Amino acid sequence: MNYKPDENTLIAYLYGELDEKEQEKLTQYFQEHPEELKHVQALAQARDIMGAINDKEVIAPPVFMDDHSHGRPIWQSATVRWGTAIAASFLFLMVAAKLIGMEIYYSQGEARITFGKKEAVPVQTDAVSRLTVDQVQTMIRSSLVKNNEFIAARWADNQRKLDESIRNRLDVNSKKTEDMMKNASLASQEQIRSFVDGLQNENLRSMKDYLQLSSAEQKKYVESLLVDFSKYLQEQRNQDLTLFQTRMSSMERNTDQFKQETEQILSGIISSSAGKKENNY
Amino acid sequence: MHSDTLIARARDGDKNAQGKLVQLWYKRIYNYSYKFFFDHDLAMEAAQKTFISMHRNVGGLQDCGKFKSWLYTIAVNYCREELRKNKSNRSVSLHDLKPGEGEDSYRWEESRNRSENPESQLRHTELSDLLQKCLTELPPEQREVVIMKEYEGLKFREIADVLNISENTVKSRMYYALDELKRILDRKQITKESIGYEL
Repeated sequence: MNYKPDENTLIAYLYGELDEKEQEKLTQYFQEHPEELKHVQALAQARDIMGAINDKEVIAPPVFMDDHSHGRPIWQSATVRWGTAIAASFLFLMVAAKLIGMEIYYSQGEARITFGKKEAVPVQTDAVSRLTVDQVQTMIRSSLVKNNEFIAARWADNQRKLDESIRNRLDVNSKKTEDMMKNASLASQEQIRSFVDGLQNENLRSMKDYLQLSSAEQKKYVESLLVDFSKYLQEQRNQDLTLFQTRMSSMERNTDQFKQETEQILSGIISSSAGKKENNY
Repeated sequence: MHSDTLIARARDGDKNAQGKLVQLWYKRIYNYSYKFFFDHDLAMEAAQKTFISMHRNVGGLQDCGKFKSWLYTIAVNYCREELRKNKSNRSVSLHDLKPGEGEDSYRWEESRNRSENPESQLRHTELSDLLQKCLTELPPEQREVVIMKEYEGLKFREIADVLNISENTVKSRMYYALDELKRILDRKQITKESIGYEL
């Protein structure tokens, strides 16, 4: 049985707080482990001994309790305190605003906060409203013409610069190409020669290798062919010999058989002739 | 001891109900603290602070049925606080001065039952003090549990609520406390038989 009660179970047992099932289990455990029971009994004894401590007699002191809610003056109430604090804050803000000359305006959906003296804002005359439609169109047209002229001049200038640049670039490039061609033609004769020589040498070497390789292989092939042929002949000979032996033995057997048959026939004839003679006598 | 009505009245600010609660619970809280410290002055201090706190905070008590646990929680906290202070500032109470022997002892005055034989009363008081000393040898967290269970009659569940720990932890502390007490009693050679002789 692997049951082992923990200290909580033992304490519950000590104070009689175990359920019946657990109690039974524990009783069985104590029967098997009397030393544990002894220990629990010792704890119970310690409890009993400690129970001899007496309560001290004491007289509760008289209770004097101040009633905060009834005797408090009205100015000490929370509401009044809060109200006073808010009012004092507003007053402070107003005095501060007066001292720094702060003013707040609101007109036509616009709010303004100003500090110090208010400066007169210069009134702007509405010059645009004096121009007529024709004048505006003329102004726009002249402005467009000027703009077009400026753009055309600028475009022509850019075009010219671009042409010059392309021409210069073409000259430089053609010079470079010619130089490269010259260099290439000079270098090519020697290179071709060396290339052809290399090619010839390479071909020669490969032909030689090929011939050597092919002659060696042909030799091997012929040798193997000859060997195979001799093997074939030998095999054929063996087979012929076997066949000949078989036939010879067969002939021998046939001869023996013929001999036996002949002997039997002869003995038959002899015996039949001897019988006839006896009948005649 | 008292009904929930009394607590509800105290909670609603009834001063008479609060006074009545103090009268009803003072002895229990004082004795809890006394057994915790084994010191009259500290116990008085903790008990008074507990009831001042009760007076201030009882209005916030939500469940009248938890008054007992709530009150003991306050007491436990003040006892711990006093213990911390006392550790850093050790002082000797006049009450704890050597009481003298036999008839010279002022403990004649503390006898619980005046009708008993004076000699028996004295022996009883001395034995109680001796055991009380054994109790103070326990670590504070075990002492709290033993006092609440053995002397204040709280259930394990209630102790767990007061100390804000699990019921199993309470039982575990109780087990180790009893084990330790057994060792202390063995060391001091206090047995049931010797107590029987004393009484």
